[in-house]
Amino acid sequence: MPSIIRILCGIASAALLGWGLATIDDVSDARWLTILGMAWLLLLLATYLPLPNMPQFSRSLIRIAIVFATVLAIVSVQLIRIQVVQQDAIAYRSAQTDDGDAIANPRVVLTPLENQRGEIMDRDGVAIAATMEQDGNYYRSWPNDATSYVAGYHSPFLFGSSGLELTYADVLTGQAGNNPISRLFNNLLHQPQQGSDITLTLDTDLQESAQAMLGDQNGAVVVVDVDTGDIVVMASSPAYDPNQLFTTSPTANADAQAYWDTLIEDTDAPLVTRANLGLYTPGSTFKTITAAIAIELGYADPDSVYTDDGELVIDGRVLEGQNRPDVSQTQWTLREGIMWSLNIVLAQVGLQIGGDEFWLMAQRFGFGQDVPFDLPVSQSQLASDRSFLDSSNAVADTGFGQGEIQVSPLHMAVITAGFANDGAMMEPRLVDQIVSPDGSVTGSPPVETWLTPISPETATQVEAMMIDTVNAGSVQAAQVPGYLVGGKTGTAETGVETPHSWFIGFIGPQEGEPRYAVAAVLEFGGSGLTGPVSIGRDMLAQTMESPPPSD
Amino acid sequence: MASRYRPTFRTTEFGLLLFPALTAIIGLAIILLVPRATLDWSWTELWTSLAFAGAVIVMSLTLGLRGFRGDQTILPLTAMIALIGMLMIQRLHPDLAARDPGFSTIAQRHLMYLGVGLAVMWLSVMLLGPLGLIRWLQRYRYLLILGATALQMSTFFLGTEVYGAKLWIDVGPIQIQPSEIVKLALVAFLASYLDENRDMLKSSWNVGPMKLPPIPYLIPMGVMWAMSLLTLVVLNDLGSALLFFGIFISMLYVATGGLVYVVVGLGSFAAACYGAWFAFDRVGIRVQNWLNPWQDPLVTGFQPVHSDYALASGGVFGVGLGYGSPAYIPAVETDYIFSAIGEELGLLGALAVIALYLFFVLRGFTIAIRARDGYIQLVAAGLSSIIGIQAIIILGGVTRVIPLTGITLPLISYGGSALITNFALAGMLLYVSGLPKRA
Repeated sequence: MPSIIRILCGIASAALLGWGLATIDDVSDARWLTILGMAWLLLLLATYLPLPNMPQFSRSLIRIAIVFATVLAIVSVQLIRIQVVQQDAIAYRSAQTDDGDAIANPRVVLTPLENQRGEIMDRDGVAIAATMEQDGNYYRSWPNDATSYVAGYHSPFLFGSSGLELTYADVLTGQAGNNPISRLFNNLLHQPQQGSDITLTLDTDLQESAQAMLGDQNGAVVVVDVDTGDIVVMASSPAYDPNQLFTTSPTANADAQAYWDTLIEDTDAPLVTRANLGLYTPGSTFKTITAAIAIELGYADPDSVYTDDGELVIDGRVLEGQNRPDVSQTQWTLREGIMWSLNIVLAQVGLQIGGDEFWLMAQRFGFGQDVPFDLPVSQSQLASDRSFLDSSNAVADTGFGQGEIQVSPLHMAVITAGFANDGAMMEPRLVDQIVSPDGSVTGSPPVETWLTPISPETATQVEAMMIDTVNAGSVQAAQVPGYLVGGKTGTAETGVETPHSWFIGFIGPQEGEPRYAVAAVLEFGGSGLTGPVSIGRDMLAQTMESPPPSD
Repeated sequence: MASRYRPTFRTTEFGLLLFPALTAIIGLAIILLVPRATLDWSWTELWTSLAFAGAVIVMSLTLGLRGFRGDQTILPLTAMIALIGMLMIQRLHPDLAARDPGFSTIAQRHLMYLGVGLAVMWLSVMLLGPLGLIRWLQRYRYLLILGATALQMSTFFLGTEVYGAKLWIDVGPIQIQPSEIVKLALVAFLASYLDENRDMLKSSWNVGPMKLPPIPYLIPMGVMWAMSLLTLVVLNDLGSALLFFGIFISMLYVATGGLVYVVVGLGSFAAACYGAWFAFDRVGIRVQNWLNPWQDPLVTGFQPVHSDYALASGGVFGVGLGYGSPAYIPAVETDYIFSAIGEELGLLGALAVIALYLFFVLRGFTIAIRARDGYIQLVAAGLSSIIGIQAIIILGGVTRVIPLTGITLPLISYGGSALITNFALAGMLLYVSGLPKRA
């Protein structure tokens, strides 16, 4: 056989193998075996040497040797595929039967237990997620019920991780955030990686208090430091217990699986932590945003006068006015509209702004955008689509917080904090510091302004209107003796009997700038004047009474 | 001729033996120290490795004293391969024993077999000549093959069933695996038969217009085909069946150079296996595990899936001797020991093992080509082929290049009969290399 054909066969064999290695990802694909077989046959042709001038015995033996060598070469290619090319796909492949029996690489699932996962602590160093050693393995626990679900679950054998346990997995396992030299050293000496600890901005005491106030009602409370964006409280109800999802072996999973099933089947969806993942219609709390936009764009100021005589007709639809403290009065300022939550006033403000500018300004407040945060946050929306605001009625409804607006409690708290912080909405911070095993701080997410939708002047005017609302308006229940409080309630029509109810507000010393903002929401909580106001008020007061540790 | 018995120092062999000797000591130290996680050890703990290193070096020295002038690489290769097996079994022992008390003596037993094996190898080289055993095997070939067949078939009546296959017979306190002994007898028989009928084999035979293969080809072909298939069907021992037939085909090809016979032989055996795929569940499951073990990863595919996990976890450099978890693979000490090597020593270690087997086979073939006597040539070729074919069958099976057929990884897997027989094989090959060579 001419040598050129042998060379071509050799090249074809190598090309075929290379193509197969590069393209066939499924580790159990029979096409790969076909390629191996074809490549072997080509390899046999490529190595079919003429072998002249030698005894038949020697020639036959050399041919057999070549056959052996080619087969072993194919075996080597297969090894390269298993051990290198498809290494991760094979090592991390798992399967579950209908009966719930699972198979996974025990080395992969044991690794999380061999590493000393870093702890998650609150701002005072109280453990939220802790790691305990037993027999060389490290077990995860979440000692604080009111914060455990903020840390998220960590279930290496079954469900993976969520929350901060997922976002900061690299840091907690020591794959990132540590000194690279000590990491290499640990790898070389086969010593378990020791993960970095994480300190949060949360306060477990306040978190417990918020959780207790939520009780068995579904809802959320978020308290944020207006200057830094530090999240001091982020309570959600219903909560779940990540301890029950953590299992210590790949096999004894029945309890965890049963608990998981109840979580999944629960119509209240406990795995959906309301504070960051819940979306609610903001109701009248949104009136502060409408007012801010109108003032910022120059359409109004707090003393602009609007007519509210109990009825407003827009394109033939009659809007019934509510909430007027004095039905004989027909002229109301924007300030009074906020103080008494007058829908007809804010509907007119909304119409002044109009759909286009409403849409643009809402984006500057973060609607339709991802909130930069350590946990996933559901995206807030002004409307499902810009075209919704083509109708005057839709714009009017949006003006007083109904329509199609959806907002997460976290986002609402950040917006409120922005009013109290001269218009600067800070990036919400949950992780304060990353502390490596040797005690040094290796990372600290910076304090940064996220959005500045309005000027300091506008913000100050909205802030003043909210203070008036608490001091002399409809939300006097939110007053805290000795402190300056501003706020606004909201009632989100849900179409069912009892609406969701909101309170947003901020607190500060009598003389001085506001310090903390709150957003509290209760699902089917009735009017915002009851539950959320007292929760929000008490959380603000308690936060003021529990200063952060001085660094 | 007197110079053949003048003492000599086998320099190459001695130098090469330093590799397994040092690897034995360092490897055992690693195995002992990894679980302790401290540098706390004494020389007495390493006595097995020191004994192993001493034994192979003494073997080399005594061969030199005896004036033996045969091949100087077979012993180092055998020692290196067997050493990897010894280290892996020592390393697996605590993990296996923790899981199943039945494995509590596996390491000691393996050491015992290893010791016997080394002695058998040494005795083969020292005594085969004086006893004239090679010629005896040549002369009484029919007695040999009858005895071997009887031994093989006796497992059907006397055998102990393990994993659904009857591969072992109990002889007093020990179990022996007849197929391991049969494979040597088979090589001796075929070498003798093919050498004697070499010329007739090359002539063809006419029936009318049809040109048929010669009778001396057809008869042993039929016998071998039947024996392999019986091993497959009656004893359920796919690995041995494949090995026997592989030995037959390669020796036939070497003796005659007739590619057609090889193709016909392989084709008919493949057809029989294809039939067995449908006829026997066991075979069907093996084919399914070969094509896709993930069809039933918890039951039938459990073993190959765990083998893949081990290999993939090893990567290029391996997790390190003593640092892996190979004991998750069922039968890791026998059929799947290569996966344990791949996990702990990585792709590089696995390729090194493959290279060692290839070197062994190539060296054996070189001995065959250099031998003067036709019968001896065939014996050397057959013995070397055993190692090559057996390695291919099990390595290909473990890596799922071909369906897995349970058979030991020569000189590495746990198993007394296999280990001792393969040492005897290496000893015979080494002895043969010392016989007069072609000019």
